[in-house]
Amino acid sequence: MEPIVRLENVTKAYRGVPAVKNVTFDLRKGEIHALLGENGAGKSTLTKIIAGVVEATSGKMFHKGVETVFASPHAALEAGIAMVFQETSLVPSMTVAQNLYLGSEKFLNRLRGTYISAQQFLQSLNFPVDPNALVATLGAAKRQMVEIARAVHHNAEIIIFDEPTATLTPEEKRHFFALIRRLKAGGVSIVFISHALEEALGIADRITILRDGELVITDDTSAFDRDRIVAAMVGRSLSGQIYGQRDEAKLRKPGRKVLSVQDISMSNVVRNNSFSIFEGQITGVFGLIGSGRTETFKIVSGIYKRDFLRGGAIELDDRPVRYLVPSEAVADGIVYVTEDRKSEGIFETMGIAENLFGGLLAVGREKAWVINQQEMRQLSAEWTKTLNIRAINDNARVVELSGGNQQKVVIGKGLVQKPRIVILDEPTRGVDVGAIAEIHQIINRLADEGLAVVVISSYLPEIMNLSDRILVCRQGRIVEEFSPAEATEEKIMYAAVH
Amino acid sequence: MILDPILDIFRGKAVTIPPLDGAFRPNTKLDDAPAFAELSEADNLLTAGDRLLASSGNAVFALAADGTVTVVETFQSRVTALALSPSGELTVGLETGKLLTSGKEVALPADINCITALAYGQDGTLWLANGSARHAPSQWAADLMEKGASGSLWKREPAGGAFRQVAGGLAFPYGLHQVGTDIIVAESWRHQLVRHDGASGAATTVLAHLPGYPARMAPAAGGGAWLALFAPRNRLIEFILQEVHYREDMLREVSPDCWIAPALASNRNFLEPLQCGAIRTMGIHKPWSPSRSYGLVARLDADMRPRFSIHSRANGTRHGICSVAERSGRLFVASRGGDCVLSLDAATGGF
Repeated sequence: MEPIVRLENVTKAYRGVPAVKNVTFDLRKGEIHALLGENGAGKSTLTKIIAGVVEATSGKMFHKGVETVFASPHAALEAGIAMVFQETSLVPSMTVAQNLYLGSEKFLNRLRGTYISAQQFLQSLNFPVDPNALVATLGAAKRQMVEIARAVHHNAEIIIFDEPTATLTPEEKRHFFALIRRLKAGGVSIVFISHALEEALGIADRITILRDGELVITDDTSAFDRDRIVAAMVGRSLSGQIYGQRDEAKLRKPGRKVLSVQDISMSNVVRNNSFSIFEGQITGVFGLIGSGRTETFKIVSGIYKRDFLRGGAIELDDRPVRYLVPSEAVADGIVYVTEDRKSEGIFETMGIAENLFGGLLAVGREKAWVINQQEMRQLSAEWTKTLNIRAINDNARVVELSGGNQQKVVIGKGLVQKPRIVILDEPTRGVDVGAIAEIHQIINRLADEGLAVVVISSYLPEIMNLSDRILVCRQGRIVEEFSPAEATEEKIMYAAVH
Repeated sequence: MILDPILDIFRGKAVTIPPLDGAFRPNTKLDDAPAFAELSEADNLLTAGDRLLASSGNAVFALAADGTVTVVETFQSRVTALALSPSGELTVGLETGKLLTSGKEVALPADINCITALAYGQDGTLWLANGSARHAPSQWAADLMEKGASGSLWKREPAGGAFRQVAGGLAFPYGLHQVGTDIIVAESWRHQLVRHDGASGAATTVLAHLPGYPARMAPAAGGGAWLALFAPRNRLIEFILQEVHYREDMLREVSPDCWIAPALASNRNFLEPLQCGAIRTMGIHKPWSPSRSYGLVARLDADMRPRFSIHSRANGTRHGICSVAERSGRLFVASRGGDCVLSLDAATGGF
């Protein structure tokens, strides 16, 4: 059968780092094609190339047999290719109906008519969303529904769904799958990215698995079972060279229990999550996106609030705590090093010294009432040396540093607060290989010094290489604990997705 | 937050279940261990010299070294507790509330009708745990669902005479472990171990906030004790325990087998209440799914701190561990839910 879309040897590199490498992929008319892989495998990038969001660095794309390059998502939409993004692309200050008709408005629009037709359309999809509601007031699941509805509304021939079910309830998922089958029956081709393997096995006609930006396998769904998918997803040939398996004798023994989290809940994102954190040990937390791992530790560090009723308990040194603001957690020695350093971790236009000193200001440990430049420079010199932060000059702005050095600044900003519990969320995301090794050394040193260290990562070899114990998070709670000596990538992935 | 103690009055204090980590980190050692002997609803284990005794139903059995099971004695009702006096007399508690020593009935105060555990001191002192003032031992689930705290601890001096109540208001005392002249009691519904002074009965909590319901204890070689936990604590059950009217309706209208309550075994009847996570998905029962039954034995050090534990997880079968006994370097584990007695290396716990 002639594919409706075909990618030939497509590569997409970001600043020279390939996110997708020489991938050949085809999508047939009227098929549901599941795209699977770990976080960072290149699934989103591949689909963004199809939808015109990003342009391939090399390779060719054919649409209905004609070589095509979409200059923009709008151009792709004009050609009948719509994409439903993982992070919704709706305009929050507009209503649901306005978002639905955005880009296809007439010269004169009758507001009431727009709302009525939006209401009818949403009802036909079984989506219980009020068309008059502002998108900003909707929860994640309803935003996702509007996003899906928008794609369907454009009568696209190809719809790409990036993790569409992550925020949906089981009932909503049922409606969603029924809708997908209806679309398929109408001849629409669907690309479906999901971490839930049973969803892919249940609904897809064909499955493609990507790993480290490369295509591992494409085959009919009937040729797959869970084990084959997991093995294809995690079988990393280079992992043994970069990251070795931990020897049981080298694992650090748990020290005193410093943090006990019991049954904490936050809406349906974190659900009755319980675990303990021990001194002198690195606790690795693995989970796929949407598993609630970041949210859990943001609750611990006072950034998010757990539910007011039946929200569980957090005990620090056997003392119950509930932080209203993060500074209370910082004062208690809990530091959270964010996964999103650009928007949450650093002041980009400030220098290294100012950023590091910012950490000291947050904890109220500065020595003088006014900022003492000498103290700031001393602090900067000390931590720049400790963390081996490399910059062009002493006054370099953080934005001018490499990703690895930026990350070291973010870590340093937390460490100047002299914490007892350090939570590092994706500490090596967007960091080059050399800096990864240095950051791992820093993390190991912290645990050797007796600190309780938590490393949250989506990268399995990192978790297995760094951790003294591995917690696996799924659907808002820790479901399994492994010793790195007994853990395999397959076992961890199985717990994370099953 | 500083206002939490005040707000707790209105919204209810958070009832939390401690995580199964640290010393309670899950493993499959109970399921991995070979069955030493098959015994239906194996309950109380007792080392009597070179013999290992186990109660099951109305009888006490002797377990030979090769796992052969022979009947030692049968009784008119279910055996609920066993103990051996320093002089070698077998003392047996029955479901009917009777206590027999060497086959002879011992006179008991009228308040004792639920004998859940017995323990002799070196000097011949006999300790008796009376689980509930309202229910027989087999009706333990009803006592939990009524949030019973009518249990009591009794003592008979070495010289004999009548039993004397040492402590009352206990929430289902189910295990006894003598330490010097004091006694440690496993209080099931409060998930804790409490040390009672042998003379005054003054209580001190030695281990609290357990992840399951503690049952009987047994001395461990090298100091400390083994603690059996007969069922796991579970969010749904904790929730039900806060819902008074629901529980009342459930107790009144639903068959006890189908109560949302802890169990000694599960997955035997399709009518059993299940949480969604406990249902098999794609033919696989996840070991971390919420479960009404579980197998758990904890090794406690001399300070009653947990050192390690051995488990049969939600997808296992060796559940409902009510009793353990250590003899000649082997740990024997009676699984009521698994209908067997297991044998593991006592020093390592099978690790």
